[in-house]
Amino acid sequence: MKEFKPLPALPAPKDTVGMGVWVKQNLFPNLVNSMMTVLIAGFLISVVPGVIDWAIISADWSGTSQLDCKKDGACWVFVSAWMQQFIYGSYPDEQLWRINLALVVLVLVIAAPNVLQKELRNKLGVPMFLLYPFVCAAFLDGRMFSLEYVSTDYWGGFSLNVFLAAASIIIAFPLSFLWALGRRSDMPFVRSVCLILIEFFRGVPVLALFFMGSVMLPLFFPTGTSVDKLLRVWIVLILFMSGYMAEVFRGGFQAIPQGQYEAADSLGLSYWQKTLLIIFPQVIKVSMPNILATFVMLFKNTTFLLIIGIFEMLSTTQTALSNSNWLGGHATEGYLFVALVFWCCCFSMSMISNSIERKLDTGHKN
Amino acid sequence: MSTELQKPRSFFNNPRNRALIYQILLLLGLGYFLFSIVSNVLANMEARGIKSGFGFLFTTAGFDILMSLIPYDATHSYGRTFLVGLLNTILVSVIGIVLATIIGFVLGIAYFSKNWLVRKFSIIYVEIFRNIPLLLQVFFWYFAVLAALPAARESISIGEAVFLNVRGLFIPALVGEAGANVIYLAAIVAVVIVIYLTKQSKKKQDETGAQFPIGRVALLILLGLPIIATLTMGTPFHFDYPILGRFSLSGGTTIIPELMALSVALSVYCGAFIAEAVRAGIQAVPHGQTEAARSIGLKERKIMTLIIVPQAMRVIAPLLNSEYQSLVKNSTLATAIGYPDLFTVFVGTSLNQTGQAIEIVFMTMAVYFVINMTISFLMNLFNAKVALSERK
Repeated sequence: MKEFKPLPALPAPKDTVGMGVWVKQNLFPNLVNSMMTVLIAGFLISVVPGVIDWAIISADWSGTSQLDCKKDGACWVFVSAWMQQFIYGSYPDEQLWRINLALVVLVLVIAAPNVLQKELRNKLGVPMFLLYPFVCAAFLDGRMFSLEYVSTDYWGGFSLNVFLAAASIIIAFPLSFLWALGRRSDMPFVRSVCLILIEFFRGVPVLALFFMGSVMLPLFFPTGTSVDKLLRVWIVLILFMSGYMAEVFRGGFQAIPQGQYEAADSLGLSYWQKTLLIIFPQVIKVSMPNILATFVMLFKNTTFLLIIGIFEMLSTTQTALSNSNWLGGHATEGYLFVALVFWCCCFSMSMISNSIERKLDTGHKN
Repeated sequence: MSTELQKPRSFFNNPRNRALIYQILLLLGLGYFLFSIVSNVLANMEARGIKSGFGFLFTTAGFDILMSLIPYDATHSYGRTFLVGLLNTILVSVIGIVLATIIGFVLGIAYFSKNWLVRKFSIIYVEIFRNIPLLLQVFFWYFAVLAALPAARESISIGEAVFLNVRGLFIPALVGEAGANVIYLAAIVAVVIVIYLTKQSKKKQDETGAQFPIGRVALLILLGLPIIATLTMGTPFHFDYPILGRFSLSGGTTIIPELMALSVALSVYCGAFIAEAVRAGIQAVPHGQTEAARSIGLKERKIMTLIIVPQAMRVIAPLLNSEYQSLVKNSTLATAIGYPDLFTVFVGTSLNQTGQAIEIVFMTMAVYFVINMTISFLMNLFNAKVALSERK
């Protein structure tokens, strides 16, 4: 019997391997695509070297005043000279440790519910989380802790954006959850009140809400009382955020199978036991990516506060740009720096949101 | 029946009674809250000497507005400023929506391109512009880009007809003369014919399978009829070209830099979000659809336009709805650079001058509500249309 001898394997066809093939397939597959490649490449070649030269090679990096910017490129001195203002606003120099401490605590407070054991989490982590905004505000204000009093007029910069966004979402958490519960309640009056609240705060431009906070809210308080501007803004941000988050939670509720409610009912759990022990953990799980997306939106929208005269980061930049010692047209540098800071925060949050989505995807799909 | 069930239950154990009590409590709380607010507002307004009511709408405004689509000057009333602002808001919203949709669809589809460079470009664009605050982008275009344009004397010009300088974009204006109406009529007739032909050709294709080259014919009619009308009427219009004077330009149509910066920023920002929506929609179409389309021999471009995009529209349409609404709401940022939209003119200047905070803020909010509800209504119609193409 003849022995079976397989033929030696043929080499891979020439047109499927190698650098040249990749370039041909991915950059020049056909006429239209080749034209687009040339177009984009041409654009990059004509723009990128100029940008790099402007931003790095012929840029001025060190110095203290505008006069130190002698080269043609970017004047990063502008950014470094105003750095403290950009981050801390006009908060007094010797009190800056308070802001730093509050920022560190903020990170801890956010991390705590995720790291702590279950018992500790419910007893310590959650109350810490919910109390943080109030304690933080009092601490930065200083009077209650018998520290030096710093009026809210001096709060500002990027730290204010962070504090406002964080403090708003923390309070909006329970509030929006209540609204979302109310919206799916069986009680018609409760349902319609919640519906109106949610649709109002979602349907109105946030700028109109800010204006409402700055020109209308003072009329709502009894005559003679003056409420701090930042506090009014905070209230508006909480309500605005709650409207959006309530919708996120509603989506979460809809994703929970009906069987979960029925199982909880058949165990004889009360309404709040059912909601908090069975439904809430699952809702949080499915809504987490959307909550983060909403938070990113809120965080970006804190820059709108410039328009009603709160000294957040963008507003500080505008002030710096119109400072008489810095009238050399540093708008591009300033905006690029602010953009970079916000971009890093927002982009990393959307990365976190993606990773949570992947981690929580425990396959509860039907 | 067991005796336990017949036992009279306590009043509070009946969920219906409890619901009633909760709602009454909420009503009382809300009533007290509203009552105290209203009484506070009345007291405050009296203390500040503000008279409530809408009478101010008919008094003379006395301020100028940078740009107006309808005749306006300082002698007109506050009611007129409201209208001017509203039209400007609608203008920038429509420009923004059209441009953002184009950017979004092009980049969303580009994500699935075979071309590596195009794919990366789409991803980088979306990730950059989605994550930078919109107000910052508005400022960037306005203060960093447009403010760096040359002065009127050194305008960048294209064929002495279009001028771009720090004061805006100057383009020739089309001025109609007697007989121009015939051309408008011809254009309308062309559109009607094209709509009718499209319906007929679709019906014929559904019935017999025969395809009618509707695209080319439609283009021919849309261009042909107005051109024929123009030629027969002896070109009854002329262009009013902007003319470069000593310090500024005269004539033509001016697009002010505020409008340019705002519409560019809005469309670039919302375009990134729409690109994301389009991408998500296309990804939601099962890959089997592409494979099935390939196996019946459709070309790649036909697969996109006939198979993928119509199905992706089911996912995209609701997302587009909310993106358009947020674009309209975000157009209020006009007030940061002084584009005279409803917010700048009415909530800004008019409120400052009259002090009628409550009336003005509520009127403005109501307008944005109505605009958004209109968008929602139109998009729901569109949604119903694309949803119908679902499995029947």
